[in-house]
Amino acid sequence: MTELVLSDLSRRYGQALAIDGINLTVQEGEFLTLLGPSGCGKSTTLASVAGLDQPTGGRITFGERVLADAATGAYLPPEARGFGVVFQSYALWPHLSVEDNVGMALKLRRVGATERGRRIAEALELVELGPLAKRYPGELSGGQQQRVALARAIVFRPPLLLLDEPLSNLDAQLRQQARIWLKDIQRELGLTTIYVTHDQDEALAMSDRIVVMRGGKVVQLGTPQQIYTDPQHPFAASFIGNANLLAVKGEAVAEPGACTVTLPDGQAIRGRTPTGALATGDQLLAMRPHLVSCTPCENASEINVEFGAESYLGDHFEQEAHVAGTAIRLSVEVPQPRGAGRIWIRQQDAVVFAADR
Amino acid sequence: MALLPVTGTSPGAAPPFDRARLAQWLIFAITAALMLAPALPILLQVVVDRPLYSEGWQFTLDNIAQLVRDERIGRIALTTGLFALFSVVIAEVLGIAAALLIGRTDMPGRKVMGDVLMWPLYLSHLIFALGWVVMYGPSGFITQSIAQQMGGTAPWNLYSIAGMSVVAGISQAPLAYLYCLYGAVRSVDATLESAARTVGAGPLQVLRKVTLPLMIPSIITSTALNLVIAVETLSIPLFLARPARIDTLSTFLYGEGIAASNPNHGLVAASSLLLMALVGSTLIVQRLLLRHGHRYETVKGKGTRPMVLSLGKLRWPLAGLFAAVLLATVVVPIAGIILRAFTSFLSPLVPVSKVLTLNNFTKLFADEANIRAIWNTVEISLLSASLGTLLAVAVALVIQRSDFRWAGTLEALAYSPRIVPGMITGLGIFYAAVILPPMGWLRGNIGIIVVAYVMATLPLALGVIQPAIVQIGRDLDKAARTVGADWLGAMRIVLLPLLKPALLGSFILLFVFHLKSYIIAIFLMAPGLEVMGVSMLSLWTNGDVGPLAAFASFQIVLIAVLLILARVLFKVKIYD
Repeated sequence: MTELVLSDLSRRYGQALAIDGINLTVQEGEFLTLLGPSGCGKSTTLASVAGLDQPTGGRITFGERVLADAATGAYLPPEARGFGVVFQSYALWPHLSVEDNVGMALKLRRVGATERGRRIAEALELVELGPLAKRYPGELSGGQQQRVALARAIVFRPPLLLLDEPLSNLDAQLRQQARIWLKDIQRELGLTTIYVTHDQDEALAMSDRIVVMRGGKVVQLGTPQQIYTDPQHPFAASFIGNANLLAVKGEAVAEPGACTVTLPDGQAIRGRTPTGALATGDQLLAMRPHLVSCTPCENASEINVEFGAESYLGDHFEQEAHVAGTAIRLSVEVPQPRGAGRIWIRQQDAVVFAADR
Repeated sequence: MALLPVTGTSPGAAPPFDRARLAQWLIFAITAALMLAPALPILLQVVVDRPLYSEGWQFTLDNIAQLVRDERIGRIALTTGLFALFSVVIAEVLGIAAALLIGRTDMPGRKVMGDVLMWPLYLSHLIFALGWVVMYGPSGFITQSIAQQMGGTAPWNLYSIAGMSVVAGISQAPLAYLYCLYGAVRSVDATLESAARTVGAGPLQVLRKVTLPLMIPSIITSTALNLVIAVETLSIPLFLARPARIDTLSTFLYGEGIAASNPNHGLVAASSLLLMALVGSTLIVQRLLLRHGHRYETVKGKGTRPMVLSLGKLRWPLAGLFAAVLLATVVVPIAGIILRAFTSFLSPLVPVSKVLTLNNFTKLFADEANIRAIWNTVEISLLSASLGTLLAVAVALVIQRSDFRWAGTLEALAYSPRIVPGMITGLGIFYAAVILPPMGWLRGNIGIIVVAYVMATLPLALGVIQPAIVQIGRDLDKAARTVGADWLGAMRIVLLPLLKPALLGSFILLFVFHLKSYIIAIFLMAPGLEVMGVSMLSLWTNGDVGPLAAFASFQIVLIAVLLILARVLFKVKIYD
């Protein structure tokens, strides 16, 4: 088993910490996604695995090999690591044809011309671009360029494939297709893959595991289901699934389980905490827009709200509501009349966290 | 589908040594040696009591004391300052006006006029000064024609500070024009101006309140460059001020260091230091002024068409005025040189048809030294332009595309020739060849001039290549690294091919620059080592104006042919 292990990895730029002590193990054959908003350190993490950026603290190992170790100053340059990288910009060499772009890695490895030709053809076939081998990158569409970039990254069969937001330059429809197609190729080749994105749908659809990052730190690590259904941090809840976050007060709770919190206007809500370790005082309540009901339901707290403007989104409406002075978003099938009203939230859907640090 | 088999050996399996690092250190060492070798001997000469090449010298501060005591120095510094100031004002006013008129208005004939305005930049100051002397000097063709009409009194005196300021100002106007045109007038986002118009500003107000302020960094940069050039230019003061016994720092240096039978090297080195200090402080002031450059940043990217300002009724009068100025200041002097080359004598009193002759050319080409000068110049220019471009791209790639620890130092070193005037570069290389044994083998062959040229023009070449590197996305070389190329490989596979047009541009720019250069080689002249520019300078000193005009015409044609070829064959326009 060749595992990629990041231990206490950090990267400092002057005063700013781009990565702040990341610990992570990537299993062989796994599709792992680094998910977070821009500036969360996900691309820097990927760059330090690729060898394009030297970490200032911690250590990266791949199997037996030490790729970087700040303590000893060890640092392997990218060409010595031999990982496949797909750049957000695709970074295709504009002066080389598609086959020369793809074949460069083989040329540098001194693979003979006939063998090289065969492998280029194989890789291009895999990305369904065989007929375009003689074209130049400038003559290809965005989607085709993205596939050339992938072919170039996998043609030398790297032990690890690193993808930096490879789909973010495609339009919405193409992105949907590319997602499925990319996942198929990864599964087919059994490639260990690290994928960087800020798109939660991509992360949920493709990953074996997701690492949610913020401010250079890992906020939560888990399978897509775990991350979505059981967020362990208010940021994970709000970034994946767009949960509303409300400032509330509550009693100290040591263990995970049921708890009760109070809104600033005094309304009480029964909820649960997945983490425990809540201190008395300020706490955070997370509610997913589509888990809030406008009709009474079982084991639910009733909350008085002020309904506001709605927008039509095709299959549902998104409606704004004010709870104790804070605006929240609700996903409703039928918009509620504006003005005073009530909503219900089931205990298991009212998730309480310690106040965000 | 079958799995792709695992490919060959990993290219990075413990390389025996880091050849990329080695290459970077090599580039650093070459640049450092090239830049420091001429500078250090000059500094040494300043504090030494006799020429460096004589035996038994001792340390002394006498040279500096002598410089301070020399009563000429105060006047010379004042003259240099006034000349620099006036010429820069003239160059900037003309350049800015031209950039606005040509870049932004519907003035008729603006394209042609823009091209003509560039001529002085392609020619040396020497040629340009000669043209002015021939036409507007005290016995010049135009001066005499007007004097005749006015009953014998000359309408102006070109041999004065004002006269040489005008000539230098005109010849430096293209630089100001180029900086303002490409730095601001062309690149200003049209929406910035449209925004001003939506809040009620008229087109002229927009020009004054939005466009002009955005040009400030370009104006500062070109002003600094032009100040430096004015301080170090030799031929304009030599041709126009020496006859009137006016000296600038550069003619003083020339007089003391070359023309004098027994050169005072200590004084020459000390005044070189003064000159470098002047130039250096100008560039520091420029840096300080541009510290807040981001305030004038113009967002580029989308190729928006700049707004064209309609001049209305002023269209034709302005075009006429502009054309007249260009005709009188650029076309007439150059025409004068060519006319003088084909005549034995040029005077309004004698019809030109009666003095037409090819004698000047016969005389010019009869002298073997002149033929040698032409071949030497071509050879030196080819070598220097190739080596200079090669060094510049190597330096630029280390500065911009490597993690080399001393990249900042390398950049400072590479740009240091900017504060060393050309004449002093030559002087420094001369000293270095005298006292540094490894450079001794360069003495007496063209190598010594090539070294001086490569050093002096490194910033110029970097100025072409560095912006081109910025245009190439960093991901492109990173991608090459990830597929297995080391730093050298990535530079070779990706950057060099993509930089081809810039390299060609740099080569042609340097080639033309070296063809017309005269100032750097002055101190390096030796029998058999003639170059065109220096030979022309001695023709002037000997009073051989006819052959000089012939030589100048030859050089003008040579450069024109070269530029046209470059444009037609390679689609390269220098200064673009």
